[in-house]
Amino acid sequence: MFPLSQADTTEAPRDERRESELAAILGVLGANAADSLMKPNDDIWVRVTTESWRASVDAVRSLGYTYFCFLSAIDWMPSPFGKGEDDPTAPPPERDSSIRQGYAGGATRFQLLARLVMPGSTSGVNLKCDVPDDSMTVESIVPVFAGANWHERETWEMFGINFAGHPDLRHIYLPQDFEGFPLRKDFPLLARIVKPWPGIVDVEPLPGDENEEESEQS
Amino acid sequence: MTLLGDRQQLSYIAAQAADARVNVELETEGMTLNIGPQHPATHGTLRIIARLDGEQVVWAEPSAGYMHRGYEKLTEVRTFPQVTALVNRIDWLGSFANEVPFILAAEKIMGIEATPRAQHIRTILFELSRIANVSLFLGDLGVQLGAVTPVFFAFRDREYVLNLIEAATGGRFHPNFDRIGGLKDDLPAGFIDETRSVMKKLRNFCDEIENLLFGNEIFQSRTRGIGVIPKEVALQYGLSGANLRASGVDWDLRRDQKIAMAWDKVDWKVITHPDGDSFARCWVRLQEVRESTRIVDQLLDTIPGGPVMVKVPKIIKVPEGEAWVSTENPLGEMGYYVVSKNDQGPFRVKIRSASFNNISIVPWVLKGVYVPDIITILASLYFILGDIDR
Amino acid sequence: MGLVDRGRLPKPLTTLFNMGRSYSMWVYQWGLACCAIEMGAAFGSPRYDVMRLGVIPLPASPRQADLVVISGTVTDKMAPAIKRLYEQMPEPKYVISMGSCANCGGPYWDSYSVTKGVDQIIPVDVYVPGCPPRPEALLEGIVLLQQRIKNEDMGARWRGEGTVPMNAVDGESAERGGVPVVAG
Repeated sequence: MFPLSQADTTEAPRDERRESELAAILGVLGANAADSLMKPNDDIWVRVTTESWRASVDAVRSLGYTYFCFLSAIDWMPSPFGKGEDDPTAPPPERDSSIRQGYAGGATRFQLLARLVMPGSTSGVNLKCDVPDDSMTVESIVPVFAGANWHERETWEMFGINFAGHPDLRHIYLPQDFEGFPLRKDFPLLARIVKPWPGIVDVEPLPGDENEEESEQS
Repeated sequence: MTLLGDRQQLSYIAAQAADARVNVELETEGMTLNIGPQHPATHGTLRIIARLDGEQVVWAEPSAGYMHRGYEKLTEVRTFPQVTALVNRIDWLGSFANEVPFILAAEKIMGIEATPRAQHIRTILFELSRIANVSLFLGDLGVQLGAVTPVFFAFRDREYVLNLIEAATGGRFHPNFDRIGGLKDDLPAGFIDETRSVMKKLRNFCDEIENLLFGNEIFQSRTRGIGVIPKEVALQYGLSGANLRASGVDWDLRRDQKIAMAWDKVDWKVITHPDGDSFARCWVRLQEVRESTRIVDQLLDTIPGGPVMVKVPKIIKVPEGEAWVSTENPLGEMGYYVVSKNDQGPFRVKIRSASFNNISIVPWVLKGVYVPDIITILASLYFILGDIDR
Repeated sequence: MGLVDRGRLPKPLTTLFNMGRSYSMWVYQWGLACCAIEMGAAFGSPRYDVMRLGVIPLPASPRQADLVVISGTVTDKMAPAIKRLYEQMPEPKYVISMGSCANCGGPYWDSYSVTKGVDQIIPVDVYVPGCPPRPEALLEGIVLLQQRIKNEDMGARWRGEGTVPMNAVDGESAERGGVPVVAG
């Protein structure tokens, strides 16, 4: 069969360094790794099972990924409020609320996301882990990385994800009596709901733009 | 140098132990000291709650959140160009440096790269904002230790850099100059000559600060051997930037990372210090300003020609994907984890700011120090409130 | 000083007092966010030098201050502290709100944690717009405040009846009594 174009004959770019790194990580994780993805010259994503979260982080750390970069979470449900640009007087528009997880897949609405790096290099790995929808609890990794303490407090405050074994799960940014979890997609930004987004007026064409269009047409 | 550092460190530890003995003998009662949220000795609105025994800190905890503005939520309701205007204000002293990793992450998902000229100018502005940021740190350092003069020098010489940034971008503080695919505009006429003369002034400024502060006996005795952070602990807490390099880790994302910027085209060196104390952190920053002026000087000689912007559609939609990009910002590693769902705005942006990790080590490092050292340790760790709280 | 609060002060004496007050303002710097750096440049740098306007930016405590510059984003967590410090200041006291965030919330107008304007907590005399305002803009705000103090009825201020200008420089400011000024 003849190739359709020149581009089809070129092989996908190889990234041998990342391939071997991914193989080493998957080797040490064993059955704990649920899914993985390697983009050449970009990054590595590995999703581990919820039960093995702490053990997996510890295992990856023992490979030399001793630098703790960050820990956070992602809420994969699309926001029921869209971009917060709806007209408050009109009935709410229909929106697609199907949950589609990103790289390395997953099955739950919330996913943990952490990044570990090998110091002195740029070899890093993005670790993901599903958060069970009912219990919303994951094991804390503070015993592995002491620096995860504040990151887990932040994640708990923003998403409402509990960390079993965390020494001190308190509010970090918001007042202690704050209600709700702001980074969940169904947390509304009230200022946008009571008042239409003032940027909508930008949709109207400026006087100069009209002239431009006319001159292009003519 | 190391010998002196060792000796001072040992005498400091011995004094601490002696003080602890005195505390037991005198049966001093515990006391809770609240510093902040507004206090002349803390820059910004960080609040520190410290439990003391006599003059020693038994337990200390920073209380953040007085500047929390909810960036990560706000990015979800804004388009990509609007987010650039917003992230300028995370680390307000080096604003341009905040835009770059975000734009690079968006470009990575789109699979485009800025033109060589744009990459070059980005790097120049990046280093200028580093100089603007760290020069104020060097002046402020004096104020924290009771020396008022350096801050006047810092404000004087920082104005020159701000004028340059304003001439190139139109914004003194928040340029909002970086676009997906390049830059908003080209450099103005006369920028290169002007920058050369300013870099000369800044090297003089570094010499001045070195003579005024770093050679000062009081400064040395208040910073040498104090607030020591070993390498392993620093990595565990995710310290980055000069704080990590001052603990002896030879790691700079500008050198070690393959990224669409121009740092690999010039000759410069990464500064490290083996001690890991307050003095080392300040010293590394001072040397980094010098290196930055060298980088800028060399980049000015080799700006390539061509456009500053690649062809991108007027309304930008970023395809579905995820990307992580971090750069070596003035405060440390600043990165963005961007998730896009083929929309005008991002689906989720995780902002990894340097100060958040840098300051999370405070409960560990303040344990057992004396009350006056709280201020010097915090000053040398160097944080910006907007960068902690976001 | 019973004369002042009863409002029975001869006019030339009031003018003299007002002039003295307007050129010896002790300002408490409430640095919150980006604007704090521009305020620092205006107050602490040799290029802008606020002391030539008769403003002394060095009180160690709000109890010694006549004027407070709220410079930066006010969050809901910070708001009680601002209120408490304002209450500690002695009368007569003035407030300059510096920057878009302190004026109205600025770029964070839709945030869940930012107070949309410091005027919801404390009364403001002069608004300085900008994000952040240049140091020159802050200096203009201070000059505007000094003009207002010069034309003020001290008795009314002491009794807490708001800022009613006594002798207006121009016809317009007579109607503007009690209304905040916007610089720029």
